[in-house]
Amino acid sequence: MIPLLRLFYQFFLRPMKREPVRTALTTFAVALGVAVVLAIDLAGTAAAGSFRASLETLTGKADLEITGIGGVPAETAAKLARLPYPLTVAARIEDYAMVAATGETVPLIGMDLIATALDSEDKLEPLRSPRPIWVGPRLAHRKGETIRLTINDHSTDYTVAGILKEGDNAVVMDLALADEALSRGGRLDRILVTVPDTTSIEEWQARIEHAVPPGVTVARQGARTDENRRMLAAFRWNLRVLSYIALVVGAFLIYNTISVSVVRRRPEIGILRALGATRGGVLAAFLGEAALFGVAGALLGLALGRLMAEGAVQMLATTVQALYVSSTPAPIQLTWVSVLLAFAIGIGTALASAFAPAREASQVAPTEAMARGRVEYQARLHRGRDLVLASLFALAAGGAATRPPVAGKPLFGYLAALLLIAAAALAIPSLVSALTAVSSRLLQKTLGVEAMLASRSLVASLRRTSVLVGALATAIAMMTSVGIMVGSFRQTVALWMDNQLRADLFVRPAGPAAADRHPQLAADVPDKIAAVQGVEAVDRFRAIAISYEGLPATLGAGESQVLARYSKMRFLEGERDSIFRTLPTGDYAVVSEPFANKHGVRKGDHVKLALGGSAHQFEVLGVYYDYSNERGFVVLDRGTLLKYLPDPAPSNLAVFVKAGFDLETVRGRVEAAVAGRSVLIVSNRTIRAEAIKIFDRTFAITYALEAVAVLVAVMGIAGALLALVIDRRREMGLLRFLGASAGQVRKLILCEAGLLGLLANVAGLALGSALSLILIYVINKQSFGWTIQFHWPVAVLGGALTVIYVSTVLAGLYPARVATRLNPIEVIHEE
Amino acid sequence: MPESLPLLRLDAVSKDYVSNGERVHALRDVSLTVGAGELVALVGRSGCGKSTLLNLAGAMDFPSSGRVLLNGTDTSTLGDAGLTKLRRESVGFVFQSFQLLPTLTVLENVELPMLLAGHPDARGPAMEKLAWVEMDSLAARFPHQLSGGQQQRVAIARALVHSPFLLLADEPIGNLDSITGNLVLDILRRTASERRVTILMATHSAESTSAADIVVRLRDGHVETVTRN
Repeated sequence: MIPLLRLFYQFFLRPMKREPVRTALTTFAVALGVAVVLAIDLAGTAAAGSFRASLETLTGKADLEITGIGGVPAETAAKLARLPYPLTVAARIEDYAMVAATGETVPLIGMDLIATALDSEDKLEPLRSPRPIWVGPRLAHRKGETIRLTINDHSTDYTVAGILKEGDNAVVMDLALADEALSRGGRLDRILVTVPDTTSIEEWQARIEHAVPPGVTVARQGARTDENRRMLAAFRWNLRVLSYIALVVGAFLIYNTISVSVVRRRPEIGILRALGATRGGVLAAFLGEAALFGVAGALLGLALGRLMAEGAVQMLATTVQALYVSSTPAPIQLTWVSVLLAFAIGIGTALASAFAPAREASQVAPTEAMARGRVEYQARLHRGRDLVLASLFALAAGGAATRPPVAGKPLFGYLAALLLIAAAALAIPSLVSALTAVSSRLLQKTLGVEAMLASRSLVASLRRTSVLVGALATAIAMMTSVGIMVGSFRQTVALWMDNQLRADLFVRPAGPAAADRHPQLAADVPDKIAAVQGVEAVDRFRAIAISYEGLPATLGAGESQVLARYSKMRFLEGERDSIFRTLPTGDYAVVSEPFANKHGVRKGDHVKLALGGSAHQFEVLGVYYDYSNERGFVVLDRGTLLKYLPDPAPSNLAVFVKAGFDLETVRGRVEAAVAGRSVLIVSNRTIRAEAIKIFDRTFAITYALEAVAVLVAVMGIAGALLALVIDRRREMGLLRFLGASAGQVRKLILCEAGLLGLLANVAGLALGSALSLILIYVINKQSFGWTIQFHWPVAVLGGALTVIYVSTVLAGLYPARVATRLNPIEVIHEE
Repeated sequence: MPESLPLLRLDAVSKDYVSNGERVHALRDVSLTVGAGELVALVGRSGCGKSTLLNLAGAMDFPSSGRVLLNGTDTSTLGDAGLTKLRRESVGFVFQSFQLLPTLTVLENVELPMLLAGHPDARGPAMEKLAWVEMDSLAARFPHQLSGGQQQRVAIARALVHSPFLLLADEPIGNLDSITGNLVLDILRRTASERRVTILMATHSAESTSAADIVVRLRDGHVETVTRN
């Protein structure tokens, strides 16, 4: 074993030490790939896992939970407590409040504190303070202090009656106080039930279902968490896939590094084989070299990934909050599983990508030791065969793109994308040959002899060039495709907002809102605003977070007549005028596109909702385009909802100003009309700007991931050019003998970098455009259910591609410096 | 033998290298004068300083002491750009292992020095020099499609394409069999006599020595003897 290790040191570690920059670049490329995957994994767990912590605060170890749309009647808890079973029943009101001083959103839990305190005067005492609350340790207030909380549309002072031992930043108050603060009207959000273990949970669930009113759901405690997790699965899955791009690019570069290593050492391998080394030994040695890069990359990647996760978690939490569910990020935890994941992907990627060149090394015949000089890096490429294969792969990609999702995941969409990348990799050698053949003379005329030499040299080492172009093209393609998808999505959302947001002013409570949080305005606010001079109409919209078929969704209710008159809502299915005419006349609903796709609901189908103590079927009149969140909406007429849930408080208002009235004047009057309430009044322009800001923030992480992939590829180009300079040092020396100046040698290397960048840009743009179609029409549609209109974000793409191109050329600067510093006399006499 | 003005003059030239921390004296106090159109053979054992002398004469390197005057220009007064210009205009190189660029055709290889010097019309001179070495019919071929002798003739055409005063040849027939080597030597001799190009040729072969006008024997960096044939 020791002699083998010594040989490994002599033949592999020593050369690595001789080229520290190149070794470092390859290691760093692997490290970045590992870091990105790890960062997304850690940040995803922290950001998505956190929703459990907020409303699950202080739940104890309950077995079952009882919920209902619009709440559960308070009597239900009392009825359960009276059942002849030894059940523990905990009634809860759950919402969010905002600490007025800091703007921090905190979970607000209402619990029956009086009932639990009745047995002790000590416990009852704090409850006698004015508006008593207990706060979590993170809020760090002292007992007796006053905290001003904004709840729905009002801000009120509360007295800190005690500090909780757990509960993070939660605020706990007595049920009655919470009911008053949130205007619940005697309805609870959740009843937690702990059952004895005398019989199965299912049995207890059945018994309790008999005892609760219809329209109320009894489920295992934690069902809501599971629903949220299921809802977030597609988001996390797609992000995870995106994070693997940098690793794929890193794999290309490991392949290139080991290939170069094999080519350089063919004579050495021949000698070793002649001296008795086995094929297996050679294979193992080269795989060992790759594994070293994998181990070093994983170690560095672990540290980098942990660091990057800190930044990523904030970005992810914002997206989760905006599109899915209330969330405050949990701390990042680097577990042993994460460490193992880092090593598995680092070493696994390195070994997998190095296998082909390592195998090639093991095939070197001992007679090659007799060959004089260095064997040129000859590409054993079969361009014709590869082109046919590329066409077949592209066709297969087309076929895969038409397949439906598997268990809600667009697996065939990913397969189609992979097949397209493989097709491009196979077609790239032909592209490189064709483009350089056509451009060689042209380059000489326009950029001089150095450009012509650069182009010839790239063709001469076609395989190496193709791998490099493939790596950078893959990174560019992913960036282009995601750029096109996000740009198209942004444009689609902007157009959608034009149709959807027609009102002049929007009014909502200042209390914290999110995709699953809908604080309400006091019931008299709409009438006050409607009475303002200059206001033509007010649309009252109510939103309630619900669960539908095991997934979170939103039930909404608006005023059909107002919508019919003012909105330009667009429908995929159903005729607009007829929908708005029919909607208020009975149990009808319209659903949003994400809801329709997620639950397979079409026009004419029925959605079943438990409202007001009984279950009802609502006929779907149409499916409308909606991009506000991914949970999906079921929208009824306001009158229909009030029939079942007689709670008139709206979640937000759309105010239409009469023609001829000054918007700012009317806004001032509206503000005066709601004085004393904590409400936000925003103009149409502001709400659109806010929406676009949220949109851009949501996709910032995807751009960050693309940027890392491109960085890895550009580093690869720098490393590969350095290898190219080292391998062709005699040629560089010869050029100096033939009269080339140092500047001309520098220009030659920069031209090679520029040509590589150009070829990669052309290939990347073509592949990226094709991939964007798969992203928009297959992966997005199957994962999220949104229809996105195709749009070329020319300015963004142009800018990004220019930056990449310039970076690629700049990546040639260091290798060019090395080339100009070579001593021509020394290198020309090397043999 | 033509009487000529000194084209190349070395005045008390020494060249030291530092190799692995030790000072190596490659050339010591070498003085030599060569006229236009003379063919000079540099002979001596490996490591005696032949290649170093060629590099100094070709403005590829500076002497540690002494002066190298090429066509009247003291090379030590020039910077990198000046040396490059001098090489482009005045010097051609031929190597033992031909050193043709495998990615270029024969014609493109020959054109290369002129293109590097920024001459746009390199084709005419390149074809003329290929005809001089009788390789014009194979101008479109790539180096790997030629024999060793043919490759060396192309290398000579490349070294002559910009009509230099001085041609430096390092073991030009070292990789060739005797018949092919004689053919190459004949071309070099004709080049010196008919084109008045001064040729400095490092060699081990007796044929080369007998073909030269002057034979300079080097030993341990010193000029041991200078013999005129």
